[in-house]
Amino acid sequence: MEYFDFGGGAWERMLSLLGEGPISLVSGLFLMLFVLFGAGYLILRSNQRLRTLYVVLFSLYFYFKLSGIYLLLLLFTALSDYIIGKRIYRRKEQGQRCRGWLALSVVINVGILAYFTATNFFVDSINAIYGDGTLDWEAVVKPAGVSFFVFQSLAYVIDISRGTIKPLKHLSDYIFLLSFFPKVMCGPLVRAKDFIPQIEAERLVVERKDLGRAVKLLVTGLIKYAVIAKIVGSQFVQPAFDGSLGDSGVVALMAVYGFTLQIYCDFSGISDIAVGIALLMGFRLPDNFDAPYKSATITEFWRRWHISLSSWLRDYLYISLGGNRKGSFRTYLNLFMTMFIGGLWHGVGLCYIIWGALHGLALALHKVWLKLIPNAKRFGEEMHSVWRLPATLLTFHIVAFGWLFFGSALMFPQSDMQVAGDILHRIAHNFSLADVVPMVQSSGFAIATICLGYVLHFLPKRYDRAMCNFTTRSGWLGGALILIVAIWLVMQCDAIMLAQSSDGAATMSALPMYANY
Amino acid sequence: MKREDYTLRGWLMSLVVVVGVICLGLIPPFEVFGLRTERVDILSALRPAEVAIDDAIAEMEVIDSEVARANLDSMLLATPKPEPAKVEERDEELKWSVENGSKRGADGERGRKLHSSEIEITKSNIVAIEDFDTLPNGKFHNFIEKLALGEGVRIAVMGDSFVEGDIVTSDLRDILQRSYGGRGVGFVSCDIPFTTVRTTVKRDAKGWTSYSIMKHKSVPETLRDKFFASGYISEGGAGATVTWRTVDKFATLDSCTHADILLVARDSSIVELTIINEHDTLKREMNIAKSDRLRQIEIDMPMKSLKLKVVSGKILCYGASLEGNGGGVIVDNFSVRSNNGHAIYNMNKSICNDADNIFGYDLVVLQYGLNIMQPGQRHFTKYKEQLATMIDYAKAYFPNAAIMVLGVSDRWIKDEEQGTYVPIGSVDAMTEYQRAAAEECGVAFWNTSEAMAALGGMPAFVANGWAASDYTHINFAGGKRIAQALANALHNEVYNLLYEQELSEESAKQMRVQREREIAERNTQILEQREAIINNIISIDTTSIEQPDAIAEGIAEDIQEGNGEGNEISEDVANIASEDISEDTASEVVIETAENEVVVENESHKNSDTLIDSDSIA
Repeated sequence: MEYFDFGGGAWERMLSLLGEGPISLVSGLFLMLFVLFGAGYLILRSNQRLRTLYVVLFSLYFYFKLSGIYLLLLLFTALSDYIIGKRIYRRKEQGQRCRGWLALSVVINVGILAYFTATNFFVDSINAIYGDGTLDWEAVVKPAGVSFFVFQSLAYVIDISRGTIKPLKHLSDYIFLLSFFPKVMCGPLVRAKDFIPQIEAERLVVERKDLGRAVKLLVTGLIKYAVIAKIVGSQFVQPAFDGSLGDSGVVALMAVYGFTLQIYCDFSGISDIAVGIALLMGFRLPDNFDAPYKSATITEFWRRWHISLSSWLRDYLYISLGGNRKGSFRTYLNLFMTMFIGGLWHGVGLCYIIWGALHGLALALHKVWLKLIPNAKRFGEEMHSVWRLPATLLTFHIVAFGWLFFGSALMFPQSDMQVAGDILHRIAHNFSLADVVPMVQSSGFAIATICLGYVLHFLPKRYDRAMCNFTTRSGWLGGALILIVAIWLVMQCDAIMLAQSSDGAATMSALPMYANY
Repeated sequence: MKREDYTLRGWLMSLVVVVGVICLGLIPPFEVFGLRTERVDILSALRPAEVAIDDAIAEMEVIDSEVARANLDSMLLATPKPEPAKVEERDEELKWSVENGSKRGADGERGRKLHSSEIEITKSNIVAIEDFDTLPNGKFHNFIEKLALGEGVRIAVMGDSFVEGDIVTSDLRDILQRSYGGRGVGFVSCDIPFTTVRTTVKRDAKGWTSYSIMKHKSVPETLRDKFFASGYISEGGAGATVTWRTVDKFATLDSCTHADILLVARDSSIVELTIINEHDTLKREMNIAKSDRLRQIEIDMPMKSLKLKVVSGKILCYGASLEGNGGGVIVDNFSVRSNNGHAIYNMNKSICNDADNIFGYDLVVLQYGLNIMQPGQRHFTKYKEQLATMIDYAKAYFPNAAIMVLGVSDRWIKDEEQGTYVPIGSVDAMTEYQRAAAEECGVAFWNTSEAMAALGGMPAFVANGWAASDYTHINFAGGKRIAQALANALHNEVYNLLYEQELSEESAKQMRVQREREIAERNTQILEQREAIINNIISIDTTSIEQPDAIAEGIAEDIQEGNGEGNEISEDVANIASEDISEDTASEVVIETAENEVVVENESHKNSDTLIDSDSIA
């Protein structure tokens, strides 16, 4: 049959596909590799040692494919923190101080992060001040996933020094913790405390409801990541930000809303898929998102957005800075500093600084508000619905305002402030509701997708549970059918966008936005 | 109690998903709720890559044509004249040629004038090229003449996704190279920041950071103003490599004998070149000093593949041109996806001028407009202005080249109510505005949609598999038909030029023969008459009869002086001669008695075969 005739050189093409090159959890290549990997996993899973080694090898291959030579960096981090963790534990047992070892780990990990985040900025600044060529340094490209394994490694060492966990017995177990392939690219961040028992468990079980939940997560993840985010991003947000869709204020505002949806769908979609894939193997990763735009306060937003990171920031940065134990002023300052550093971590640039400072300021102000107004509530659920709606709208717009800068920096790293300023200027000075009709006429499909995305986002949680129940009752064959339909839909979108996109990149193989950080 | 384990079922589910998704590719496209689905193919990465086409909205900022024109004016003021030959001089150390290798312009490619009978032309259905250049011997005329004379010509085709992947241009190149000589695929970019495939050359680039002129805003500021007509630039430090390999899709492409690599050394750099030909592999390192100007690495030897590796430093590479040894036709494909033509505003004039000095463009073809049309739109006044500005930019970048605008291609759209495809309704209007822009700028124009209509229009293209089912984009098969029609139009121009020349040569020759015959007849008559007169009136005087030469000389003198001097007969002869002169206004008849020769000079022909022995007069 013609369909199964791949023409000459198919073998070479397959080999080159398996070599170094981007791989996403949402790609045909990964799907097939996963099934092949799964066959071996079925056989080896009953033996903890063999299972761990097998998964580690596959994870390392996956990370090598993703980031190439930087695999060595992952192994170096794993090795150094594994040793440091053991040292700290031993010294603690002997009642000695372990600050030196902890400091070493922090220096190594923060050093790695700082190198990849700040070098370009530093070199460019020096060259801008003292003339081109003063510092002859190649531009640094941050490899995918570095932040994620560095954060987890740092958390492991800090946890040992705080005495909350014991170090792992085998290096391979620790590499497993850092490199587990579903989450290695962009999370969720896992806590050693939660994950070590799963690694060390003799028997891992996938229950009936787990399978159903995995199918549900894979389907919603695919729709969010590969349909909504891709359509909204490529069809509307990108061209609206760069001015191709005209300079109407309505379009600019819609683009900000669009990006707000896009980044949520992109990031939470890929997180859902990661959690779903891990679940199929019997591993439970923490939930990373909980409908964040339903938040009625900024504090609540950070409990619902990128939960694994915000709790990481809270436990290891905020608390390390002193948390709320040093008086209320220090509490506000620590909150602000935590978010400020969180912003800087995304990239050294004015836009990320503004984004971090905005969130830090909002969190601190909310703390002040809670203190001043005795009746004020921390979360939407506690509020009366009269207050909840305006509070939700306000929170949403603060967050969206932050995303405007974040998105400019993400899409236009070279001219971020210019783009962000341009968008704001258009909204402020060129806003006319008369532009709504032409916008809908020219970008109706993308606008409809944005609306659909928000409607789905604001559906009550019971729909989520209902869907889980449905996929559980469908059984594995039904689940397979649901997934095939979802993948078909994704591929349709891909085909449409391939035909229309101006950069021509197939979205299936494109990495998630958050893989940049 | 052991909990029931669903891991196996989970894996079986994945397996079924994989099999199911593979089988999805067997579902043909269908329509659901009026939306047309596409055939999906998860195994596509295993298949030979096809060329992706698009008609997306331009992502670059749209520059108003007035602003663009003002920019052009200031640009022309700033750099009034390109300095020719400067690049060549400076780049002497960047030349690499094998000894005993064939010298440029010395291989067996055509270098002679053609005869009109050699032009393979389909006389029916010619959509003629309209040249709006009002000057005699304009640039387009010169281009056609160079083709006819077998001199080397270079054509740049600047367009959008319509010609991406060498659609149209690959077949145009093939036809022209087979007809007029020439070899090689022409210019090929170093690296392009998305997946695309050219079937006419293989390119393998690693380690470059590449930018598209269409994403102008996201290009680092230092590189923003460095674009050439190719629309893509690639910056690479140590370790970046690019290999261009010839392919044998067309007979003239399987190898080449000359290559130029265009680059800018952003730092003092060392590059390593590797050339593979049938016999061996050659390597050479070159040092390139840091400079902002365009540099050319010139290689003269037979090659199948050419590899550039940056050993140290920083190189901004544009691409390489793979050619034959001069002579014949080179067609460069400069397609930039989603480009409505605006990209030309953001190219660098001095880079383009430098490249023009190296390549020597004779014709620049502009193919744009497909993405502009809205259904039923009848007025493109603004677009016309923009196109005129683009033409003027092209003139500034390639000052010696003729410009030819290609009219927009035929496009049909789906009538949502009836579900059938109908003409977009704006093709003719767009074509008219494009023609008007060409006329305004005094450049050539070719009506693509008319040529497509002659082949049955878009429905016939789709029905024959020459175009995608979107009734908008042609594929390689369709590109071939359009290339044939365009080549036919060019052949037609060459044919007409040659035929005219041959005709005027022929008629001049015929006229000369006629005149010679007439003059000879008259002379005989005169001699006879004179004989009779001498015989009858002066009775027998042998001396005058025995010296007819002297008499002829006398006649010739009479003709030269243009008066009869009272001699009836010689006056008669002089009249005949002057009649001849006035009859043939294009020719100037000079009769030189001293050498006994008559020289007929035609304005367009100064060949020696117009010399006539004056014996025939005597």
